[in-house]
Amino acid sequence: MRWPEAWRDPALLDLLKGSAIDTLLIGPGEALGAVRERARKQGLQIDTPPGVSIAKGEWPGVKMARGRDAGAGPTGVPWVNSNGWAIRLAMVQKPDHTVWIDAPPAADSFITPDSYLIAIADSAAYGGRWILSLDAPLAQSLAEGKPDAQRPWKRIVETAAFFAARKDWSDYPPVANMGVLSDFAGPNEFFGQELLNLLARAGAQARAILPGGSFDGIRLLIYPDAAPASAALRAQIDKFTKSGGLLMTSEKRPTDDPYIWANDAVVQLSHRNDLVRFWNSGATGSYVSTNGKQTIAHLLFYSMRGPDSASVWVAGNYRSAQAATIEHPTIEKLGFENKKGGMEVHLPQVSQYVALQLT
Amino acid sequence: MSHCSSRRHFLLSSSAFALAPTLARAAAAPAPAGPVSVARCNTYDSAELVPTLQKMFDQLGGLGKLVKNKTVAMKINLTGAPTYRLGYLPLEDTHYTHPHVIAATAHLMSQAGARRIRILESPWATADPVEEYILRANWDPRDILSAGPHVEFENTNYLGQAKKYSRMAVPFGGYMFPAFDLNHSYEDCDVFVSIAKMKEHATAGVTLSMKNCFGITPCTIYGTGAGKDEPSLVPKGGRGIIHQGDRQPSLSAPSEKDPKAPRLDTWRVPRTVVDLVAARPIHLAIVEGIKTMTGGEGPWVNVEQLGVAPGVIVAGLNPVNTDAVAMSVMGFDPMATRGTPPFERCDSIVQLAEEAGLGTRDLGRIDLRGDTIAAARFDFAGIRKKRGGARPPQIGIRG
Repeated sequence: MRWPEAWRDPALLDLLKGSAIDTLLIGPGEALGAVRERARKQGLQIDTPPGVSIAKGEWPGVKMARGRDAGAGPTGVPWVNSNGWAIRLAMVQKPDHTVWIDAPPAADSFITPDSYLIAIADSAAYGGRWILSLDAPLAQSLAEGKPDAQRPWKRIVETAAFFAARKDWSDYPPVANMGVLSDFAGPNEFFGQELLNLLARAGAQARAILPGGSFDGIRLLIYPDAAPASAALRAQIDKFTKSGGLLMTSEKRPTDDPYIWANDAVVQLSHRNDLVRFWNSGATGSYVSTNGKQTIAHLLFYSMRGPDSASVWVAGNYRSAQAATIEHPTIEKLGFENKKGGMEVHLPQVSQYVALQLT
Repeated sequence: MSHCSSRRHFLLSSSAFALAPTLARAAAAPAPAGPVSVARCNTYDSAELVPTLQKMFDQLGGLGKLVKNKTVAMKINLTGAPTYRLGYLPLEDTHYTHPHVIAATAHLMSQAGARRIRILESPWATADPVEEYILRANWDPRDILSAGPHVEFENTNYLGQAKKYSRMAVPFGGYMFPAFDLNHSYEDCDVFVSIAKMKEHATAGVTLSMKNCFGITPCTIYGTGAGKDEPSLVPKGGRGIIHQGDRQPSLSAPSEKDPKAPRLDTWRVPRTVVDLVAARPIHLAIVEGIKTMTGGEGPWVNVEQLGVAPGVIVAGLNPVNTDAVAMSVMGFDPMATRGTPPFERCDSIVQLAEEAGLGTRDLGRIDLRGDTIAAARFDFAGIRKKRGGARPPQIGIRG
């Protein structure tokens, strides 16, 4: 948690007692010395521990334009800001690191208690952690002990606890059928990252692959880097295409518009190979991972309210499904049926995050 | 004079003005009447559906006469995004033409000697192939493509596979538009079939075989994101140009006949539909009501809605006759005019079509075959009455 500058009173550390918040990023200066001291005594970690990569992120949710109109992409689909792709990329680049996302609420953000649920879940679902950063009015209300601050704070604590209790899910490898093969560096950095971002927005399950990485599970590979692949990489790609894999490469098309690349990739692979489909769900995100015995489909609903009567279909052969939400850690009585090579689950009224556990 | 009364006066006078020439035509020659077949069909199981359709087509004179060695274009109804369901119900059980009905019809047409069968739709706000669109609805395009040796899809919401749009004129001159620029598929066919879902409609009262053709207009020209001078490359949004008339179609296409005509969708949409059906005549109209929904054309309509199973199919060679019979099956009077259910707020497409000389809506003149209307009736009208009639449609997601 990023400790608010204005919280000079060490007694405010009592808010964290019993919570899953175990690290504080406290600003410099003597004014916060007492806070620092007491935090240490409480056993809290202060400052970034080793093995953590901090990535600059965006405040997650549906992009709101001036006047509170929801932004939309060229297809009319709500434009969702998510840090999921950045977390997965960072985890590929530094597999031994934990990824923290630094994305404080923008000054003009419209923030509700559920905005914090989304912010925490948007990182945790993908195996990262969002650096809890309170908006100034909430920080002030909490410091003043105002009753109306208790609800959002409770929401934050409950959400953090939910994911802290399920840390093992972060180790599950992703289930993806698209791969973006790039060094994600120098001149290739923007295009490769933007592809990951836009593929996620298009609902595709894509993963970043560094040269030398495995193509396991990939059915469509995108190689957008300007430089030709090395001989070894070319051999790996040739083997992939000869075994039926699809390839999009900068050799055949200019790297001009990542949006068009992403949409073309989705159509080339075909929705026939979708791994997740949603109905009645508004602006969504999803991340699927498995340990071989259990598959977790992390479902994110970025609207101001969670969906009512949403359905989700996850590709694969499953016999049972149960869901977990922040409010209901176990929802066993789900309507589900096997359909078209996957399992379709009917969700009850839920909030903005659901973990679907499929076996 | 109050605002309300002046508005009513304006509407009535503009309506009378627009109807005058067609009424004269109608007086000169009675609107065509042909056979319409009604059949009970309780399931989408091919064991029941295929023989039912076969029998209906036989009652209409046989498919061979209509399609042998011909290219057949079938406009289906996939209104709204494929991610939008009524509750947990599959889209085909509520507001999409069921894929089994599409496949069964294509299969029977193939067997009857159709040379090529083209399944057409203008999916919501995309130039993606129709196959990709329906996969998102959890359909498998192969179920339809394998119905015959030469079955294919085309997305008609944009230029598609042609180099230019087809200009199709409205023979009677048109209520709203003198002609339309459409995807080539609507010209490059010998036989045109409309396969609709039996539904109410927030703007047009009911949506049957004729209203289904509202979706033949490409949104690259008639949509919210249409180019000003030339069609846009890809379709964006719905058909606000026709609904509200907030602007004209791309300048490359024919404009409205009277840019001062009312800007009310309940006036504009029924007239445009009739213009479209006149420009692109329907040779076979099929209204599928095995399973459907009440309360509107899709789950976005803001009234109480129900998934229902009327278990009925209506088919005919004349779309006005067919829709009139389908309305009666739904418990509505096809002779109803504006102000009477299901046209409480809108003009009647069947009335306007009859007055344009496209076909009669007089059940007394229609040659009914198969089951009786009474035996097939499902009381949409009664459900509508209990619900409290028609409510204004929501602005936003509309075809």
